[in-house]
Amino acid sequence: MKIKDLIKNDAGFQYIIDSMDLMSAAGRNAMLNGTFCSDGATLEAEWDRLDEAIRATNDIPNRRYYIDLRHCLMCLHDLGGTFSSLANHMPLNEVELFEIKSLCALSRSASSAIEGLGLSPTLPLPDCSQPFAILDPDRTGIANFYIYDSYDPELPALRRKLNALQTSGGDPVRISELLARQNEIQNSVCIRLSDELRPWTDTLVKTMEQMAYADFLLARAELAIRWNLVRPALGSATSYRALFNPRVRQRNEELHLRYQPVDIALNDGVCLITGANMAGKTVLLKSIGTAQMMAQCGMYVPAEEATVRLVEGVATSIGDDQDEMNGLSSYASEIIKISHILEACRNSNLLVLIDEPARTTNPVEGKALVQAIIKILEHQPSITLITTHYGQLGTACRRLRVKGFVEDMENIPLTPQSINRFIDYSLTEDQSDNVPHEALRIASILQCDTEMIALAQESLK
Amino acid sequence: MPFISEILRHKSLSIVGLEKNTGKTVCLNYILHRMNQIGKHVGVTSIGVDGEQVDSVFATAKPEITLFRGTHFITSEKHYLMRQAVSKLVAVDSQRTSLGPLVTAEVLIQGKALLSGAATTGALKRQIEFLGSMGVDIAIVDGALSRLSLASPTVTDAMILATGAAVSANVKQLIAKTRHLYNLIMLDEVDETLQRKLNIIESGIWALDSEGEIHDLGITSVFLIDRSEQDILRFGTTLFAAGAVSDRLLKILAAKGSGITLIARDFTKLFVTQEVYADFTRRGNRLMVLQRSKLIAITLNPTSPQGFLLDSKSTCDALSEALHTPVYDVKMIGQ
Repeated sequence: MKIKDLIKNDAGFQYIIDSMDLMSAAGRNAMLNGTFCSDGATLEAEWDRLDEAIRATNDIPNRRYYIDLRHCLMCLHDLGGTFSSLANHMPLNEVELFEIKSLCALSRSASSAIEGLGLSPTLPLPDCSQPFAILDPDRTGIANFYIYDSYDPELPALRRKLNALQTSGGDPVRISELLARQNEIQNSVCIRLSDELRPWTDTLVKTMEQMAYADFLLARAELAIRWNLVRPALGSATSYRALFNPRVRQRNEELHLRYQPVDIALNDGVCLITGANMAGKTVLLKSIGTAQMMAQCGMYVPAEEATVRLVEGVATSIGDDQDEMNGLSSYASEIIKISHILEACRNSNLLVLIDEPARTTNPVEGKALVQAIIKILEHQPSITLITTHYGQLGTACRRLRVKGFVEDMENIPLTPQSINRFIDYSLTEDQSDNVPHEALRIASILQCDTEMIALAQESLK
Repeated sequence: MPFISEILRHKSLSIVGLEKNTGKTVCLNYILHRMNQIGKHVGVTSIGVDGEQVDSVFATAKPEITLFRGTHFITSEKHYLMRQAVSKLVAVDSQRTSLGPLVTAEVLIQGKALLSGAATTGALKRQIEFLGSMGVDIAIVDGALSRLSLASPTVTDAMILATGAAVSANVKQLIAKTRHLYNLIMLDEVDETLQRKLNIIESGIWALDSEGEIHDLGITSVFLIDRSEQDILRFGTTLFAAGAVSDRLLKILAAKGSGITLIARDFTKLFVTQEVYADFTRRGNRLMVLQRSKLIAITLNPTSPQGFLLDSKSTCDALSEALHTPVYDVKMIGQ
């Protein structure tokens, strides 16, 4: 699974990717083609490199090297098309040859910046001095390019004649002839240079890829610093101290609202999350999904401390997927999705996040379906989190309850605007099989229709 | 030689035409030639695609641009590879156009070339800045079709306006059409305090009260002006339109009364016809701009693409008299 596929179905992870400060289109491609990795050793090595990049980013005395490197990355062009022409024995034109020469010069500058930052072992760049020399016959060391006189013995005299005729307004026919001959020579030089460069194709491709990788790595380091992310440890269970959702935290900051990080520990098997409406159950599921993806895509995670149990994928059923266009109701598209998740769990270990399954059908059958889902997932080697409002499910699985409303925290009247201040988003182990009954209270806090609330209370008596 | 010393007082110059085939390219060639003679370092580019060997609309022969030694020019990869000048590449832009990426090169042996350039004014501004960083004395932008946006004072410091028989073969009409655009170019500027105050506004229509305070009228688009229930003149009769000013807006304002001053950003934001503008001013209203473009000269191409030829001398004289500004025949100055 690539990052570009992951962000299609996950707005939270998309937000993370969009927050990356990349310098080049090539770097962005490297990021989007980054993979969701399930191999611990590979991830540890990746996080080691990220550690180094963070150290280099924070290295104030060597700041100029860091600025140099970011500037080099900003000048990086995606030469994929040029490299495939080269590999396919197509002659390159002057502009393409110039681009290759620029890349070689860029890698030289980037290398010295990387060395200045002490990052050479982390970001080794291939030596491009040979291909550069092919494109620099006069040994000027400058990254300009044209078909230099020294490439062909006929060129200097021909161009002297051309120059004399052009500047004196000479015979146009003779000028055309000289230009045609010059173009012939230039074309044959282009073919020759392409042939000389061809053995260096792999070196050049590797150079571009490494620089694109450097761009992605520095962007991850910058994000880790900006958001105070933490390097996760690997373990057989997942746990977070002060886990936060970057997107929701950002939104709350903009609205001057409080944001409360949560602690959570998850083992294999099913864990039910209960709690009142508005208590942040859905956000919790999304945060856990996003953190898992970040970790397994080689990033640090949004928490103060984290241990991650690696999975082969994150499967989610969150939100109302009703789509009138495909003719499926909310219930139908949800149950199809859950059925796919159950199928996937039988073959691989996943992080499964299901938000209020079967909430859009009748509660009798709905509850039976939730019981069935739990029964199936209980014995799979996956970590499953299910939020629900159904009580009395009669299953033995672990339950976590969001603490929810703490009305007496302050003597401020509850309003829809201030409601967020009266919710404790932390989790507590819950031994009972009951769920909070706070729907009517919340409706009344939200100042909903009083007759509706009164009638509902009446019928509950 | 006319207007060369005037051009050199500026860092960038645009050449725009009232129509296609009004002789922009001839004018550019003349300037490049003169700059070469006096040893000035020129940077040149275009907006969009121009410099075709054959005019793509009327299939008439088009003069090519001659680039002299030392000139820095920006064009697309496709046109670069077709050039007849000998030049060395100094930069390739990362953004691609339909003709490949834009490349910057320095001429080693003079010769002809086709110019193409950035498609947006934002990208064009960057290209002009880049030419500046190459140390050019002046950056010249060749216009494409009848686009005017490049002549905005926010893009280029000064402009040359090309007009000619292509606009109209009837001298009276040619004068009327040229004068209309000339009038818009020459609209009075607001004072500096107001300039600073209004410059930062990016969109909408705003009003100025008698204290000089600005108020957002809450009209995001001219198309919504009818829907606005409140009187748009409630704060005063001086208004600022941050975006385009259309005939529609002028008509609505003219219907509201007289004594209105409407401020536009610059003349390139004015999409108003002669008749509507005349009616607007006749009712005692006034158009102003935040920034006026510096018009250096007007050039005339007496030949129309259909082959019609105007009398050069009498047309130039008639235009000069009507516009109180020198008008040059491009073919004559090019000699």
